[in-house]
Amino acid sequence: MRIVDLLQPSRILLRASAEDQTAVQNQLVDLQMLSGAISNRDEYLEAIRAREAQGSTAIEAGIAVPHAKSQCVSAPCLSAMTLVNGVDYHAMDGKPSDLFFIIAAPLAGDVHLEILSHLMTLLMDPNFTKELRSATNPETFLAIIDRYESEKYPESPTVTQKQRPTAQILAVTACPTGIAHTYMAAEALEKKGKELGISVRVETQGSGGAKNILTSAEIAACDGVIIAADKEVDLARFDGKPLIQVPVSEGIHRPEALIQAAPKAPIYHHSGSVAVQAIENESFGRKLYKQLMNGVSHMLPFVIGGGILIALAFLLDDASIDYANFGTNTPIAAWFKNIGGVAFNFMLPILAAYIAMSIADRPGLMVGFVGGALAVSGATFSSPAGSDVSAGFLGALIAGFAGGYLTLGLRKVCDKLPNSLEGIKPVLIYPLVGLLLIGLFMCLINPIVGALNNALYNGLATMGNGSKIVLGFVVAAMMAIDMGGPFNKAAYLFGTSTLATANIAAGGSDVMAAVMIGGMVPPIAIALATTFFKNRFTQEERKSGPVNYIMGLCFITEGAIPFAASDPLRVLPSCIIGSGIAGALSMVFGCASPAPHGGLFVFPVMHNIVGYVIALVVGSLVGMILLALLKKKKA
Amino acid sequence: MVSATTKIVNPMGMHMRPAQLFVNTASKFQSDITILYQGNRINAKSIMHLMAACLKQGSELEIECQGPDEAEALAQTVALIESGLGE
Repeated sequence: MRIVDLLQPSRILLRASAEDQTAVQNQLVDLQMLSGAISNRDEYLEAIRAREAQGSTAIEAGIAVPHAKSQCVSAPCLSAMTLVNGVDYHAMDGKPSDLFFIIAAPLAGDVHLEILSHLMTLLMDPNFTKELRSATNPETFLAIIDRYESEKYPESPTVTQKQRPTAQILAVTACPTGIAHTYMAAEALEKKGKELGISVRVETQGSGGAKNILTSAEIAACDGVIIAADKEVDLARFDGKPLIQVPVSEGIHRPEALIQAAPKAPIYHHSGSVAVQAIENESFGRKLYKQLMNGVSHMLPFVIGGGILIALAFLLDDASIDYANFGTNTPIAAWFKNIGGVAFNFMLPILAAYIAMSIADRPGLMVGFVGGALAVSGATFSSPAGSDVSAGFLGALIAGFAGGYLTLGLRKVCDKLPNSLEGIKPVLIYPLVGLLLIGLFMCLINPIVGALNNALYNGLATMGNGSKIVLGFVVAAMMAIDMGGPFNKAAYLFGTSTLATANIAAGGSDVMAAVMIGGMVPPIAIALATTFFKNRFTQEERKSGPVNYIMGLCFITEGAIPFAASDPLRVLPSCIIGSGIAGALSMVFGCASPAPHGGLFVFPVMHNIVGYVIALVVGSLVGMILLALLKKKKA
Repeated sequence: MVSATTKIVNPMGMHMRPAQLFVNTASKFQSDITILYQGNRINAKSIMHLMAACLKQGSELEIECQGPDEAEALAQTVALIESGLGE
């Protein structure tokens, strides 16, 4: 046991100022909390105070060593502080104290006796304390301790050289899916560690939750940490350890290099947020991708579960009862449609919530969630209860990022508040101010969306007199632009409005048919691409691909959202062009639909089914080919 | 000079609070009081020296007192350690 093994630069505060003993205790306990080895700040502070009440821990010559054992401490840890002004710490010699070492120890064991003993031996040397007091940065402070300690205890090995029970290198592996890569990387690292004779322990954060969770004692004792992950990993507990962060594929392909590099990696300093300060050299684009994927992977179950139930509703319903209400005509269909609809309603709030959480940690969750829900409801200042126009999934993406960064900004501002308010930040300030901010923000955004929707709708109405083929292309393409947002909504409303004047007996509205096909192509094109161009998709995307056949055929465009959200710049153009071509062809063939919804299930009542199927197949194939061309191959 | 051998009995050993108690007791006497432990001579009136010695439960040590009130000093310090240092 050496002092330098227990003390980290981040827990050394130099030339601080404090008014009294209570202020010193608060600052010291704050430093100790950075270790991650203490689970409850209040409990530990109480233990420190209780110990002080039994007799001062100030020894002499301005030195005080507050310490406590507590059940909330999982591993021994040490912090240090020097003050510019001494405070009365009730020392036996009556002198003010200005050099503090605070010790936390678990209830079991006598490790803190050894720490105290080492510390006292060193502190007896007045040169040592003089050098410590004159140190201006934590690294120097630690180096002084190391130098004196090595002199006094030349034979005392550091933990590193001792035969020790815990692993030398720790790693966390995680991928957005958490099915394959997480475990492949873990296995590669452990196997390579064995070959190299270096003990490696890996925590896997897979889809089934974290396994082999690293303990704070292990973290305290390790030489280096490897984070091989393509999604956010909470790094707070690794504060003060050498840490390298790489994509999960590096863990699979370069385990040896990582194991060698980890102990020499720069010391990681955690500072509040997980996402933004995660790693300095990570590109902005990669951060965005990780945040996006965090939202998409949490949204996916809602899309799949809800989508399949809604598809079942169409399967079990009878369109001929009432075309306009297809999907809810029979009680059983209505049941499936409504339960599926509940899951669908959560889809976008969840997307926004987990994007925001990935950016701003837990305080971001609520802000993003409500932002997503406001995007869905289309709330504005004049109609706060919601308007007709949803901002759709693009609105939810904006809400997620806005929620995350607003919360992050809020946390930055709150850092300036006094420490005494620390406790009420997560329970009052973040929720209250965060909610107000996102409410204001979304009510500013939504009217723009509403105005856009109106303009689009009016634009379509004037186009209605021009070329049918162009109109078919445009409405179908619009269905694929934002899959539920203002474009989609304008096209769909325009389609249903044409139903009112259409001759149902003659098959219905040709615009409605083009609209419907525009909403069917994106999921089908994606499903085809996941079937025939597997290497363009992640494991998770491939597995959820087939469900998109069903959703596409049922005109449930939302099935495409997880794919579009995770890679909008490539997926959206492919879908838009595929949908547009299908819509134009539908017009060319003179197809028409009497029903506003239902996809495959209303084909029998449509005009020119054969032409419609051809248009659908061609549009979907075009979409698929574009996806294959635009999307990059994945590892 | 008088001396006696004794053993730390309290489970937590000579941590800071017992050390303070011990130093307070030892400081009442004029005699020099020294603890011999593992070949080291420790000034029993210095809390830092006491704590640096890292005396744990079961540690055997010798107390040496020299001065005008050495007998009383030895008796009281040994009694204090054997009573468990107030714990």
